[in-house]
Amino acid sequence: MDPLFYLADTLIFIGIFSLLSLSLNLEFGLTSLGNFGKVAFFMAGAYAYTLLAHAALPPYLCFLGGALIAGLIGLVITLPALRLREDYLAIVTLSFGEILRTVVKAEEGLAGGVRGISVPAVFHLGSSRADALANILLTLGCLALCFLLLQALAHSPYGRVLRAIREDEVAVKALGKNPVYFKASVLFIGSCIAGLAGGIFAQYLNFIDPTMFLPTVTFLVWMMLILGGAGNNWGALLGGVVVELMNRGTRIMKDFITLPVDPNNLQFIFFGLLVILILIFRPQGILPEGPVKTAARKEAQNWISSL
Amino acid sequence: MVVLLQLLLNSLITGSIYLLAGTGLTLTYGLSRFPNFAYAELITLGGFVAYTLLQHSPESFWAGLLLAFLTCGLVSVLSYRLVFSPLVNRRASLIPLMVASIGLGYVLRYTMGEIWSWSDLGYPLVWTAYNWGGLRVTSLWLYLIAVALSAALLLHLFFKCTKVGLAIRAIATNPDLAQVSGINLERVILFTWFLGAALAGVAGVFRAADTQLYPMMGWDILLPVFAAVVLGGIGSFYGLIIASYLLGLAENVGVVFLQATGLSTEYRMAIAFLVLILVLIFRPRGLLGR
Repeated sequence: MDPLFYLADTLIFIGIFSLLSLSLNLEFGLTSLGNFGKVAFFMAGAYAYTLLAHAALPPYLCFLGGALIAGLIGLVITLPALRLREDYLAIVTLSFGEILRTVVKAEEGLAGGVRGISVPAVFHLGSSRADALANILLTLGCLALCFLLLQALAHSPYGRVLRAIREDEVAVKALGKNPVYFKASVLFIGSCIAGLAGGIFAQYLNFIDPTMFLPTVTFLVWMMLILGGAGNNWGALLGGVVVELMNRGTRIMKDFITLPVDPNNLQFIFFGLLVILILIFRPQGILPEGPVKTAARKEAQNWISSL
Repeated sequence: MVVLLQLLLNSLITGSIYLLAGTGLTLTYGLSRFPNFAYAELITLGGFVAYTLLQHSPESFWAGLLLAFLTCGLVSVLSYRLVFSPLVNRRASLIPLMVASIGLGYVLRYTMGEIWSWSDLGYPLVWTAYNWGGLRVTSLWLYLIAVALSAALLLHLFFKCTKVGLAIRAIATNPDLAQVSGINLERVILFTWFLGAALAGVAGVFRAADTQLYPMMGWDILLPVFAAVVLGGIGSFYGLIIASYLLGLAENVGVVFLQATGLSTEYRMAIAFLVLILVLIFRPRGLLGR
């Protein structure tokens, strides 16, 4: 096989998972919202993209529409839990992931049910090599865009309110900010990004079915963020790269090493242990959260260095 | 009339599973203040250890229950000591604790997949079926209902009449006050983790005996069990009793409704989700929660 296709596959999957891990960083890393149903919004985006593409909408509208639909679903589903303690949100999102998969499986007429559905490709450049390159550019372009957006958000006044909600919600309320508004908007943006990742995923694979959206996706995304460093967008990115490479590494290893145990079982036992060990021994992850960059802080640093 | 009775009986069966599986979840949730998602795997583990025993001696169903009870309790205590206790001591917040419980769930689930394979297994048991004037009953269902109700009664007596029961209620109400009153927090928590998971293991045996056994079995009933815990009020055992049977009834009535309207019965699970959302909107503290 042409190594370009393997490279393209690796880069595109790193891009898709990094988008998911970045969106979780906005929700959990900055705002301390436990979204345990990430896969649901990823799935919503993938199916929304597919249905829009089958309606023959131009690709950019499909991506946008998929992201927006996922975002709206994220908003509506989490709204009942936002006024409550953070564990309610975890239970609602986790459950919703299971429900959405059940609905897609049961409604054969909607999107093929268990048989899955084909997704029209965006690029028809004449050669599959050119298509692969275009897909890499599309994925990494979206990733770069979202990264810059999230980085700007994290260091804006809005991002500072999010961190404040994470640290002390009562204080935020006392200062006249409404935490529910901020949390709802964070879940909307986070789900939009997850939905965009879903659209890219569906478009790249040209086929989706409900078995691609198991709760394990959510677990892997959490693992990326915990490993990379919650609260830091660079950490989310690093986690996406490391976990996806580990995932691929074990898949390659399977062909070369014969183990007395099933490598797939071993991999997930290892992943589970790794998450637990990181949480106990290095809860801040590989790249811990840095200080917030603000204009005032820069001024102060200049002043200190001029002394 | 018979149809109605059958519906009530089915609800009783469903509710009994939720009650057994949810007791530990709600008690440890109330004490340690975080939901332990690895409960799904403790339910499954109970099913598997009993399966292995039944492979060797098919007559010992009750011994299988006891084995599941002890194994799951022990694994739960070990997991508290090795995973959650270090995190609690580090003052980890709620979400990292939940993530750790999911990680633990993966370790347990894939270990079970390695030991017992990922295919569907069935118990080598045949249950006596009765037909009481059209009402279909099996001995397994009668055992299940009897075990669930007697467990509930015993737990009620335990909470009311023993010192440990009193201590559990005291810690759930006010952990600091309980500790200054001389209650050994760690010991009571460990005891609760043991007992709760042990009952979840029993639920797993009944579930596996009634349907099929596979590593995702517990995960597949985790959603309704959580819905029952939230509906009853987190930490409330008495709330859970009512909620389990109410949810069982809602599900079975719902299935009849789904069939009547021609919708897929796969949506059975969505009923629990609907209940969960309605509780969060209208009565987030649950039926008997504080």
